[in-house]
Amino acid sequence: MTGGRAGGRTGGQAGGRAIASFVAVVLLTAGPAARLPAQDSQFGIRGLGTPGKWESVRARSTGGAFAPFDPFSSLTDAALIDMRRMSGSVTGALSRRTVDIGGTETPLRGTRFPVFVIGGPIGRRLVVGGGFSTYLDRTYGISTSDTIVVRGDTIPVTDAVTSDGAVSDLRVALAARVNRWLTVGGGFHLLTGSTRVVATREFGDTSYRNTTARDQVSYEGEAASVSALLDLTSGLRVSGWFRADSKLRADIRGKTVAENDLPNSYGTALLWRPGAQFALAGSATWRDWTASAPNGHNTFNWTAGAELGSPGTGFRLGARGGQMPFGAGPEAPTEFGVSAGLGKQFSGGRGRIDFGVERLERKGSGLSEHVWTFLLGLTVRP
Amino acid sequence: MRYLALALLLVGPIACVEVATAPGVCPTFCPSGAIESFDTIFTDIIVRDSSYRGYVQPYQAEAMTAADIPGVIDSRAFLVMNKMFTTTTVRAGDTTTVPVVADSAQLRLTLLRRDTLATNLRLNLYSVPVTADSTATFASLDPYFTSPPVDSVNISAVLARPPVTDTTTRRIWGDSIWTDSAGHVIRQLDSGRVLFIYWHLDTLKAPLVQADSGRLGYGIRVAADSLATVSVGTLDGGSNAFFTWYYHYTVPDTATATPDSVRTGVQPLAPSFDSFVTDRAVTPLDSNLTVGGAPSARTLLRVDLPKFLHDSIDVVRATLILVPVGPVSASPADSFEIRGKPVLTDVGAKSPTSDLLMGRTTIHANSADTVRMELTDLVRNWALDTTQTTSLFLGQVPEAASYTEIRFYSSRSTAFRPALHISYVKRFPFGTP
Repeated sequence: MTGGRAGGRTGGQAGGRAIASFVAVVLLTAGPAARLPAQDSQFGIRGLGTPGKWESVRARSTGGAFAPFDPFSSLTDAALIDMRRMSGSVTGALSRRTVDIGGTETPLRGTRFPVFVIGGPIGRRLVVGGGFSTYLDRTYGISTSDTIVVRGDTIPVTDAVTSDGAVSDLRVALAARVNRWLTVGGGFHLLTGSTRVVATREFGDTSYRNTTARDQVSYEGEAASVSALLDLTSGLRVSGWFRADSKLRADIRGKTVAENDLPNSYGTALLWRPGAQFALAGSATWRDWTASAPNGHNTFNWTAGAELGSPGTGFRLGARGGQMPFGAGPEAPTEFGVSAGLGKQFSGGRGRIDFGVERLERKGSGLSEHVWTFLLGLTVRP
Repeated sequence: MRYLALALLLVGPIACVEVATAPGVCPTFCPSGAIESFDTIFTDIIVRDSSYRGYVQPYQAEAMTAADIPGVIDSRAFLVMNKMFTTTTVRAGDTTTVPVVADSAQLRLTLLRRDTLATNLRLNLYSVPVTADSTATFASLDPYFTSPPVDSVNISAVLARPPVTDTTTRRIWGDSIWTDSAGHVIRQLDSGRVLFIYWHLDTLKAPLVQADSGRLGYGIRVAADSLATVSVGTLDGGSNAFFTWYYHYTVPDTATATPDSVRTGVQPLAPSFDSFVTDRAVTPLDSNLTVGGAPSARTLLRVDLPKFLHDSIDVVRATLILVPVGPVSASPADSFEIRGKPVLTDVGAKSPTSDLLMGRTTIHANSADTVRMELTDLVRNWALDTTQTTSLFLGQVPEAASYTEIRFYSSRSTAFRPALHISYVKRFPFGTP
């Protein structure tokens, strides 16, 4: 009995620390709500941006294959049904990106908090959840040098355009277990965010003053999503989802300067768990970005991944591939990546910390990117 | 866990340091917008331009010009020294005085500017009436300037001699000096651009006249093989002439225990008045725009800035274009600067101006080239702040210190009216993919 009491105290202290840690992480991430870009890319500059990955560290370590079945990924709403108690999860990512343009490599880096999910059951068959994730990353900077003719003279100039911010997806979702084998979910999404944009021209001739234009672009849009989980057997689960996004309005000082169509997206996924220590999953997603921007492409993306060990604490690996929505030329840029990761539970299962690493290769007309991303996730069940 | 939480708190902000800028490959991997530069000469935005004269008189100027350029100008400087006591008391409280006897005197002139290409450059010192003042004219002083000079120094010749650099000389004068057999001394300042000319005058050249209260008047003319022009420091410029009396007086035998002893003294004096006169009559103002001269003239330009320059652009360069009516006839060394000072509030000729954001340009003598003055900072300020008064005053620097002045065509002259050349960048089209 003594041991039990001691264990109870220890568990309670551990739970308190877990909550404190969770609060710390939330404070770190919730503050810069407008700065939640995911993995940015040069391909998104001449477009609406780079789509975010709505995946927890666990799902992303499997190449994204487990995201449709992961309650802490915001890809599907029906997956929230597996959130058996009030829980929250946050993802942090540190990326090292190398941009290769015509053989010239430029190293870039960034730190992101792309996904935050919180939810909990409100009955035996109902789970409500929400959070935010990156919808479109619009953080980039480009610098060009050229000469222009002013007043009859040829003058060297250096232009720099930077954008810092993202369009975030604020989600409120509901998952309902219809019966033993069917779960449905739906969500409403508010797309919001802003970018701080700066355009600078520096003249090589000191007779000319350098010019800097600054502004803040606010974005607004809405979306709705539905999804379903079908448990065919105890070890086989199928997921399907559909999401419709409205137009994305870009406002500067209250005036709408652009309005762009956002894509409908749909996908399907399969999870096979033949035993308690192994799971395999794969997914396919389609999105129609053609109408969003002049250089938009429809995209198809696939994922495949596995988890070895008990769910949530095992070793994960996976691969992903497909296309990126914006790029020059008739063909969409392609993306291929592999990833791996580990999970570790603590405080008697009240918390879980996930580590992951991802390598992405992106190729398009005239440009390629190589990205290393280091992922850290924290999930707490207070 | 506590370490994890702590680590997250510490590492989080550090890890947020980003590097997001890469070379752009445009237009493929750049935003659709571009920074576009435009360039326009606004020929009709200078309006209601006027000139006014009388701001600074020659006797208020920071310097006075002595020049003798045949066919162009004959400019002569003059100065009147302060009073010198001619009697003194031997002891405090004495009611009787004894006469002061001048032994010699020293005059120091400051040459602020000269043409270093001038050869055989000479300064001639003349005696002028102590009554000379602001009413003096070239004609009224001409008889004195055409009389034999009191003294003369050949600056070119003195400077051509080796400097005296011994330690005794350096201790007395503070620096190396150049001198001639007549006792003239020249010291160089500011790397030789400024000269101190010391004249040693005996009592014939510097008589202590009781009727004049010890005052003396001197005129200065310049001569050279060519390019005879110098600028002499004045009271208003803080570089005025200095006159030093060396005197003595005799102590009567009844006054002290040392009868008939002689006491010596030194009395430095500054001028009470300095100015210059020229043989060029002050030209009346006309429909053109006049800047400079003595008394000084200024030009007020009002700018009717287009509204679009306030709204959606950033001015990167603005140049005021002025077309001279003709070249400024002067020695090259008499080239001068004009400044465009922003008007704080436009009340006409007496509008207050600011030294901030002003433009400046040099007017070269004997050149009829179009004059350009950079006003970028000023026009940027006007574009950003619509409450600003969009006017500026053009004035010579220093004012009224020279005979030189320039005339520009005004807005009344359709073909040659003042214009503003503005280069600007249009607002970047943010927000569009």
